[in-house]
Amino acid sequence: MLYLELLFQGIVQGSIYALIALGLTLVYGLLRILHVAHAALFTLGGYIGVIVTNQTGSLALAILAAMIVVGLVGVAMYKLAYEPLLSKPPFIALIASIALFIAAEELFRIIFGPYGLSYENPPLQGGFEIISGFFLKYGEALVIILSILILSVLGWVSGYTRLGVSWRATVTDPDMARAFGVNTQHVRYLNFFIGSALAAVAGVLVALLNNLVEPTMGSVPSYKALAIIVLGGLGSIRGTLLASMILGVIESFGTIYIGHLLDRDALAFGFLIVVLMFRPQGLLGTR
Amino acid sequence: MTMKIGILGAILGVSLVAASAQAGTIKIGFNVPLTGFAAADGLSAKTGAELAVEQINGAGGVKGDMLELVIYDDQASPKEAVPIAQKLIEKDEVVAGVSGSYSGSTRAAAGIFQEAGVPYISAYAIHPDITRAGNFVFRTSFVGEVQGRAGAKLIGESLGLKRVAIITLKNDFGQALAAGFKEAASSFGIEILSEYEYSIKDRQFGPIVSKVRADKPDVIYASGYFFTAGPLVSQLRAGGIDVPIIGQEGYDSQKFIEIAGAASEGTIITTSLDRDSSVAETQDFIKAFEAKSGQKADMVAASAHTAIKVLAEALQSSGASDRAAIRNAIAQTNLTASTGQISFNKLGEVQKSVQVQIVKDGQWHHHSVIDDAELLSPPSE
Repeated sequence: MLYLELLFQGIVQGSIYALIALGLTLVYGLLRILHVAHAALFTLGGYIGVIVTNQTGSLALAILAAMIVVGLVGVAMYKLAYEPLLSKPPFIALIASIALFIAAEELFRIIFGPYGLSYENPPLQGGFEIISGFFLKYGEALVIILSILILSVLGWVSGYTRLGVSWRATVTDPDMARAFGVNTQHVRYLNFFIGSALAAVAGVLVALLNNLVEPTMGSVPSYKALAIIVLGGLGSIRGTLLASMILGVIESFGTIYIGHLLDRDALAFGFLIVVLMFRPQGLLGTR
Repeated sequence: MTMKIGILGAILGVSLVAASAQAGTIKIGFNVPLTGFAAADGLSAKTGAELAVEQINGAGGVKGDMLELVIYDDQASPKEAVPIAQKLIEKDEVVAGVSGSYSGSTRAAAGIFQEAGVPYISAYAIHPDITRAGNFVFRTSFVGEVQGRAGAKLIGESLGLKRVAIITLKNDFGQALAAGFKEAASSFGIEILSEYEYSIKDRQFGPIVSKVRADKPDVIYASGYFFTAGPLVSQLRAGGIDVPIIGQEGYDSQKFIEIAGAASEGTIITTSLDRDSSVAETQDFIKAFEAKSGQKADMVAASAHTAIKVLAEALQSSGASDRAAIRNAIAQTNLTASTGQISFNKLGEVQKSVQVQIVKDGQWHHHSVIDDAELLSPPSE
């Protein structure tokens, strides 16, 4: 039963990784930019989630508000920081992204204070025993349900709607897509909006599980999400999902059984190294 | 001619006044993390130190001279702390330094202060090697091991609980506490069922919560700072674990209670600050700190406040001119401060009792005091 519970914990962590890393994959797939500042959008999502919940008492409203605001901030980030740099080599955009991330962390500290924020009346506390010995926390259940819901909607949109077709066309061949009348500019905006909104959901959920948002909460996702998209195969959405889940589960078991030797990050990067030795293109990457 | 002398005299007089105004400030170096992951503790420490300086200056300063804090942000990072220590000593020419920072940076700075022969007091950094830098370095808080031993006594003797699961923060702080705890555990009949480690960046403890529930301990001894301990305690309780949780001074902040919320009730810690103390210095500090910052007082603020008071007292008795004399005066300290009665052993380690606090109705309150001098004796070499 313990193993089942650890597996479940791994999936919870993996779902959060997936929500964060998907936005990165979307950006990389479209623009070949490593969007480090994405992690700052995750933090912003957490702050908005806590502030709106504390003001209105509604977690649902908080998630919605976080998605919309952070989505728009993501688009603004693209418009102001990345678009002017698209003609430059990709490392220029990477440097800009790192600068944005550091600036954002300090901005959070200056605006919201170094102590972080918490829910005044934390929603969804406690949990229940599904079967004897298997304990499920409400917050974790929400993580799983929301992740499945969001990913299903996203899968449906990209596979079965006109919007999804034009998005995929732009990723595959922007010039050809443009020739067929797709507004690639709009696709890029949309791309940033959706990716950032997903990170915002992850931020609100993490804030819920920890009951804490703090200026530096994006520091781990900023590099771990990069590891995940490399592991999955850069630009591969399926690969990103798979890598997130595997990493979540490895960390879950690793924390308990080899945690005194290797910490979470070391486990994640150790696994990344092993995979890249045998599959340099990543789990589901093509090269 | 007389007029010339008069003018000369006036000029001389003015320059003398200027000189004495300059001599009227005593600079104290203060390295503290104001940005980065430790910025929250840094802000508390800075506010606590500033409060002490305001109080001392408000009461006439040190023999009429005003104290001035020279503050630098060390980001709790050793590589920042080294140039800061050099700058404080060489450029700012401080008479002494106080660390309002964590172990890593304090340890790095301590060696530089020692080499320059400038007294240095660690307010709340707990690594044993800090005072081993030499005879100019002092510490006003417990070494990690001492507090770990106090935790073992609290659990095994005062609470009478024997089967323990340990959750350790994997850094200087957590590992020193765990080492002290394990060293003393057997003498209090404690059986350690399991030990888990987490990194300072971790906030999600789902797997550890699952495993601890399966271990079925009587009590959990968990180290951490309020920003890791808050999520940890809240997740342990949300995960259906209801045995007592014992922490230490890293929890000691109102923020811990805000983060863990209702889950924080009944959490017991070993620390330096007793909120319900009858000592006037402690009560004055708590009131003045809240008035100044609008925040509840915490251990870090009290420790920084104490360190400045200890230094000011030494400046008062030694005359603030000769650094070796200041050092000797610090070594002779016998002062009642916000964290209790302070004196040092020959290594410069503080000798005081451990305060045990418990969360009741959303506030830290007095639980008990551990003053077993033998158990709490700090290393002396």
